[in-house]
Amino acid sequence: MIADGSALGAASSTKTRTIETPLRRIVREFSASSLALFGLFVLVLVIMVAIFAPAIAPQNPYDLMQLDIVDGRLPPGSQSMAGMTYWLGTDDQGRDILSGILYGLRISLGVGVASAFVAAVVGASLGLVAAYAGGRAETVIMRVVDLQLSFPAILVALMILAVLGKGVMNVVLALIMVEWATYARTTRSTALVERNKEYIEAAECLVLPRWRILFRHLLPNCLPPLIVISTVQVARAIALEATLSFLGLGVPVTEPSLGLLIANGYQYMLSGKFWISFYPGIALLVTIVAINLVGDQLRDVLNPRGRS
Amino acid sequence: MKPRFLANRRDALKALTSCVLAPPLAAGALLGAGATDVWAAADGVSERTLSLAIGGAVTTIDPHFYSNGPNNSVARHFFERLVGRTAKATLVPELALSWQAVSDTVWEFKLRPGIKWHDGKDFTADDVEFTIKRIPNVPNSPGGFAGLVRVIRKIEVVDPLTIRFHTPNPYPLLPTDLTNIGIVSRHVGEGASTADYNSGKAAIGTGPFVFKSYQPGSRIEMVRNESYWGPKPAWSKVDFRIISNGAARTAALLSGDVDLIDAVPTPDLQKLRQDARVRVSETPSLRVIYLTLDRSRDSNVPFVSDRDGKPLPTNPFNDVRVRRALNISINRQALVDRIMEGMAVPTGQWLPAGLFGHNPDVAVPAYDPEMAKKLLAEAGYPNGFRLTLHTSNDRYPNDAMVAQAVAQMWTRVGVQTAVEAIPFSVFSTRVARQEFAAGLRGWGSGSGEASFVLREILTTFDASASQGTNNPMRYSNKALDAAIAETIRTVDDVKRETLLRAAVKMAADDVGIISLFMLKNAWASKKDIEIDARMDELTVSSGVRMVKG
Repeated sequence: MIADGSALGAASSTKTRTIETPLRRIVREFSASSLALFGLFVLVLVIMVAIFAPAIAPQNPYDLMQLDIVDGRLPPGSQSMAGMTYWLGTDDQGRDILSGILYGLRISLGVGVASAFVAAVVGASLGLVAAYAGGRAETVIMRVVDLQLSFPAILVALMILAVLGKGVMNVVLALIMVEWATYARTTRSTALVERNKEYIEAAECLVLPRWRILFRHLLPNCLPPLIVISTVQVARAIALEATLSFLGLGVPVTEPSLGLLIANGYQYMLSGKFWISFYPGIALLVTIVAINLVGDQLRDVLNPRGRS
Repeated sequence: MKPRFLANRRDALKALTSCVLAPPLAAGALLGAGATDVWAAADGVSERTLSLAIGGAVTTIDPHFYSNGPNNSVARHFFERLVGRTAKATLVPELALSWQAVSDTVWEFKLRPGIKWHDGKDFTADDVEFTIKRIPNVPNSPGGFAGLVRVIRKIEVVDPLTIRFHTPNPYPLLPTDLTNIGIVSRHVGEGASTADYNSGKAAIGTGPFVFKSYQPGSRIEMVRNESYWGPKPAWSKVDFRIISNGAARTAALLSGDVDLIDAVPTPDLQKLRQDARVRVSETPSLRVIYLTLDRSRDSNVPFVSDRDGKPLPTNPFNDVRVRRALNISINRQALVDRIMEGMAVPTGQWLPAGLFGHNPDVAVPAYDPEMAKKLLAEAGYPNGFRLTLHTSNDRYPNDAMVAQAVAQMWTRVGVQTAVEAIPFSVFSTRVARQEFAAGLRGWGSGSGEASFVLREILTTFDASASQGTNNPMRYSNKALDAAIAETIRTVDDVKRETLLRAAVKMAADDVGIISLFMLKNAWASKKDIEIDARMDELTVSSGVRMVKG
């Protein structure tokens, strides 16, 4: 179904004779921005590094057997007792910062993608139902969304974690509960426009089952904006996870994510031991910027109105 | 022999210099008021204002409302105690000139003559009686001093300068306990509420400073008591501020905004020590950081499992070999050097060396991972087991970091340890419900002697008898209980110290708690200012003086 909508748009905008598939068009338009390509390159690199962290990291930073506090707070480039080099230095527990970053990226990306995906599924479904069903269901769902969005995300996440306790799964759960509302609202507004279009009417005339209209006809046509906010939400989830860990409410202290690494080094900033916070901070920054660059360009490419 | 606690200067000085901190015993003529220095003399009296910043929040001016470090620090400026305590935790006469047990169950205190309240009225034994009776009756007090005066069954005012306290049993620690009780006056205190103290209306004491203003959570202003009976403080005014953020406190000192800060953040210490404009004063603290192991169950200890995650059939901590293994697998010197950056002293007990009841024969447990592995194998855990160590992350200096380092060391001998760091408010409630297998805790022996920990933490828990009130791990050792009970009954100081030392040894051999280190307290000041670094963590302006920078 996405083919219908997009192909229509593509036909009206491109005057070439060769018929271009929507995917090709997206690739072509995306590649038009070298900045976005660079962002994509960095993002892929970050993802690969995160996936293969156990193979490339010089140390398993979560295995206490491999840490030694005698190696604590060494500056970048120092040698360990065993002769290994800490390229980015160590934190207070003698944890190699480079390994910590590589493993931390796994947590950050994992948490970010998992929570954004589940939140998208939950939020989009509720948004569709609200838009299509209308009436009381819509009122209830959208007032809950309003309620949720009227609180700062970090406050809601803190409250949820205070109840659930710490742990990676609980952070994911908290992020889902924070994020679904954004998806629900976006989906509903798009779906409201789409549901009055002829193809929905046509589908209704065929007396197709409701779920089929919802998920096979309505949903695919609401996807473009969803994809765009998903990228932004992944970046947001990563930042939020880092914030929660920084505040001491996220991951366990023996398995630090980027946010916790930054928090560990924070108190040493004044005494000149900058590397404990600095490098994890850079890694976090690069990841989030790369995702945002990609997301920005995707928005331009997928937005029919933005197309020339 | 019936002990006589006649204070005299020579004894006090001897105790100070030699660090033998038993209450000075017997003999010698009484010296006049000016001679017994409670406040280690100020060099000069000036018109300068002292501006200082502490980290903890002061919540009240009422000296009996809530006992915590910051409140007690401030109260010490306005109100005095019958018995004072020096920076090194030795008892010295303050409002009382001398004290003695006139019988096994009666303590008599002779008060210092000629003392006047800030409003000019005379201080008498009647005020002391009023104070002791007020303490259990402060409305809404979240944690006052009632426990320290509960033992006083009857108060007898013999004459305006003599007062007697009757206790149901022999109680040698009464003078020690009274070092925490600020004396307030009856004439302004009668009917006064905590709010009246906070507003200054009832903040009339006998102390070296007079109350001027109090802004909750921010600052307290005070001026010198020009008619103070003791040595006059060096400062005409004190601006007592609260800056809770460690880095901000350091910055305030370096920018010249304040003259003195307490609780110097350990990461900043090295830089401050090297700074020519700054003087760092430190002392061993009375606070020990220790680990507890759950003894409340015989099996199914939460957060303990074998290497595959299956529950253990028995509680491993019931085996003394396991406790010893965990004890000697910790490299305390590394903890102190690497995590505490020198701001702690390794220990195997719970007092700084030299204090009453500290046992010099109980050495710091030697780090011996091989022996630890052997002990674990003997106890039936050749492959170790798994456990989670719980800790607060906002209460003691570097608490979560220390727990992680301990986890490293335990993991290395085969006890795979995870760490969960949670806020102290949550941690302390869950500890009290025996929800953890192992926990990192701290205890300040405010009494400056060994029995406080023995009574509170190592005595078998008994709610009805108010025994072992801080023993949530439910450690229980009948032989040790008997030894502790005997020390508490013993009034003779020499005999009591021998008994205390034996009890300390007994607890250490049985590894009742795993003591890690004694904290050090640190203050940083401008180069031309020096503070008496107090073991009890209190910041007291009369102990601050000017020196040649």
